[in-house]
Amino acid sequence: MKKNSIKMCWAGLCLAFLAPFTALNAQPAGRGAAAPVTNVPAPTSPVTGNAANGKALFYTYGCYACHGYNGETGARPFVGRWGNLSTEQVFIRFLRGRANVTPVVPSASMPNFGEASLPDKQAKDIYAYIRTFKSTAPDLKDIPTLNAIVESAKQGQK
Amino acid sequence: MAKSKKTSVGRRGFLKNAAAGAAAGAAALVTTTPLLEAQTRGAGRGATPAGSVPAPTEKQLDREAGNIRPPVAARTITRPGSDLMVQTVRDLGIEFAAANPGSSFEGLQESFINYGNPPNVMPEWITALHEESAVTMAHGYAKAEGKPMLALLHGTIGIQHAAMSIYQAYYDRVPVLMIAGNDPDFIPAHTAHDMASMVRSYTKWDAEPKTLDEALVAIQRAYNEAITPPMAPTLVVISSEIQKVDSPNTKIPAYQAPRFPTIDATSAKQIAKGLVEAQNPRIAVGRLRTPEGVKRAVELAELVGACTSTTATVGPMSFPQRHPLCGPGADKSYDYTLGLEAGGAQVSITGPGLATIAAPRDTTNIGFAGILTPGRAFQGPPEKSARPMEADAEASLPLIIEEVKRQLTADQKARIQERAARHATANHDAHVAGIEQAVQRAKAGWNGVPISTARIYAELWPLIMHEDWCLASPSNFSGGHNVQLWDHNKPYSYLGGQGAGGMGYGAPASVGAALSAKAHNRFVVNVQTDGDLNYAPGVLWTAAHHKLPMLTVMHNNRAWHQEYMFVEYMAGVRGRGADRAEIGSVLRDPFIDYAKMAATYGMAGEGPITDPSKLQAALKRGVASVKRGEPYMIDVITQPR
Repeated sequence: MKKNSIKMCWAGLCLAFLAPFTALNAQPAGRGAAAPVTNVPAPTSPVTGNAANGKALFYTYGCYACHGYNGETGARPFVGRWGNLSTEQVFIRFLRGRANVTPVVPSASMPNFGEASLPDKQAKDIYAYIRTFKSTAPDLKDIPTLNAIVESAKQGQK
Repeated sequence: MAKSKKTSVGRRGFLKNAAAGAAAGAAALVTTTPLLEAQTRGAGRGATPAGSVPAPTEKQLDREAGNIRPPVAARTITRPGSDLMVQTVRDLGIEFAAANPGSSFEGLQESFINYGNPPNVMPEWITALHEESAVTMAHGYAKAEGKPMLALLHGTIGIQHAAMSIYQAYYDRVPVLMIAGNDPDFIPAHTAHDMASMVRSYTKWDAEPKTLDEALVAIQRAYNEAITPPMAPTLVVISSEIQKVDSPNTKIPAYQAPRFPTIDATSAKQIAKGLVEAQNPRIAVGRLRTPEGVKRAVELAELVGACTSTTATVGPMSFPQRHPLCGPGADKSYDYTLGLEAGGAQVSITGPGLATIAAPRDTTNIGFAGILTPGRAFQGPPEKSARPMEADAEASLPLIIEEVKRQLTADQKARIQERAARHATANHDAHVAGIEQAVQRAKAGWNGVPISTARIYAELWPLIMHEDWCLASPSNFSGGHNVQLWDHNKPYSYLGGQGAGGMGYGAPASVGAALSAKAHNRFVVNVQTDGDLNYAPGVLWTAAHHKLPMLTVMHNNRAWHQEYMFVEYMAGVRGRGADRAEIGSVLRDPFIDYAKMAATYGMAGEGPITDPSKLQAALKRGVASVKRGEPYMIDVITQPR
């Protein structure tokens, strides 16, 4: 049987999206529990890439694996946080600067994307696509399920 | 048992003749009757239209239900050894025996299904489609119930099929009782001189008895070894001859319950003094052995008004998460901390770990990391706590409770009540604040497509919160949203991880938990990752066949996403780009249709659900189905995490 190699998941190396260390059998305290809930407005810096191309690249390069298909979920959501996505230049610098050349253990940190594997033009296309992302979350008051959960907690044991 | 030459020769002769007869019959069948036609005829005895199966007669139904006994033939072994084995297992309180059938335990299987009145009850025979499933069912059952069930394995091949599951249960310190059949006279490849040696490095105890008397003792000992800390799987290899030996005069030996190591009276007195005299004591509660241990931990915390920590969101058998005393409390300056199967600043009571048994069992020097040697990169910071007292916390609790009761004065009781009330208010406020944060996080991507994993847990919770539920599947790959959103207040609320991180665990462990749940009218939730299910999906049939109360909600991200992320990172390290990282890590081209898979195995279900607005209605249908006694699967196309 295949041995599951998911022994741990380091996230501390990712400058933009900090997440807790998760060891074998350890239970994360709810996704993003260590990260505060934020609602940073989307950047307004210029976008020069092609979002349609970027959409295909977002899938081809597996960005969704960690950031979700909408940038809102997964191990490293960025909608509402934005971090290293403030400008094209910051984003590209971030992609190029992730070179840990001797990882001892498997890592799910942000991979390095060098110029040879992801040219600037493609990076800009991805950036353009990312910038189209908006929160799909309604206001909390409009989600009865979540309100019911809060109410239930309030009425719980004291 | 010494083999009878006469029996052996006689049996070989019988087999030879039987094989010759079967070959002749098979040849005749092949040449004269197409297989399908033969099957149809065989089912209907020629009396029903082709393709249909006649309804069973009333007599047949009564026979299957065990309401009438089988006919007694003149040539009947009056008391086969396997009947006594079944009685021994029954006397131990074993409720279920899971197995994929095998000739090496045909005698035992026949006894399990026919012996006793009524037969096939305590234990009930559970049909598994793979030995790996059988053992993982036992793994999940033990975590939910706090005691072992039985898994039967067929010779060398059954043990090897089960090996991964045995390893997981061992790493998880879960008791599983296993019997392997051994038929040295039948198929040579299915037998070996020392079959148990194949899994000796990750079982706690094994035996290969030579006589029926030894076998009965071995079953009892295997049970005791499994349930005493460190709890772990145990294996008894029993030859087919012992199973079949006529034993009219053999008596089952009196069972001696095991003794659990406890702290001594002096230590109990000192711990009680520490708790009673502290201004602000705390009890850290880890994973206890059984629900009884959880009850005792609650009793102690309430007696001394100590706030507690829990591992109930990590695994079973810990302090109720939403108990008024569970949480940091009103004041985090604790002046006395007791650890129960957990670290404690002043005292920690921790049962012996696997390392205490592993070395002598590891005769091949495998040296499993994390048991015999520290895992290289997986070490957390050393806990700042006292050296643990090696004893079973659960068995030690009554001693501490008695001492506390003896030492408490009326003044102290009043002070404790006041402190407990302060803790309760603070913990409640912290809980509400935590939930408010959690729902803010859960709403991220609420209307996104594919469906967010948080929405699955959030939508499901109001539908089950008033049920007696058990989340049997690990939630670490699907965001762990239950941790904050759900209330883990029962010893079995959440059964935790796989044990050794091996895949193929969620569904069979949930089926095992559902065996426990059915008897208690509980409701099992299995949030099932897709990669995990595909190891041995036949377990869905077991759930359908035995009508187990299990709701499976697929976390179908169509990949082994953690592995995908690892490969992406590695491609980045090597500068080769991540655009080919999907190769070998995703489940596409074609997609797997899990609702159809469920239907194939006879389980009701629906999906794939892609529209988040349709999720709640589907979950409601699933909950309703399970409450009617029919397991249900909902295939949900999800975000990766």
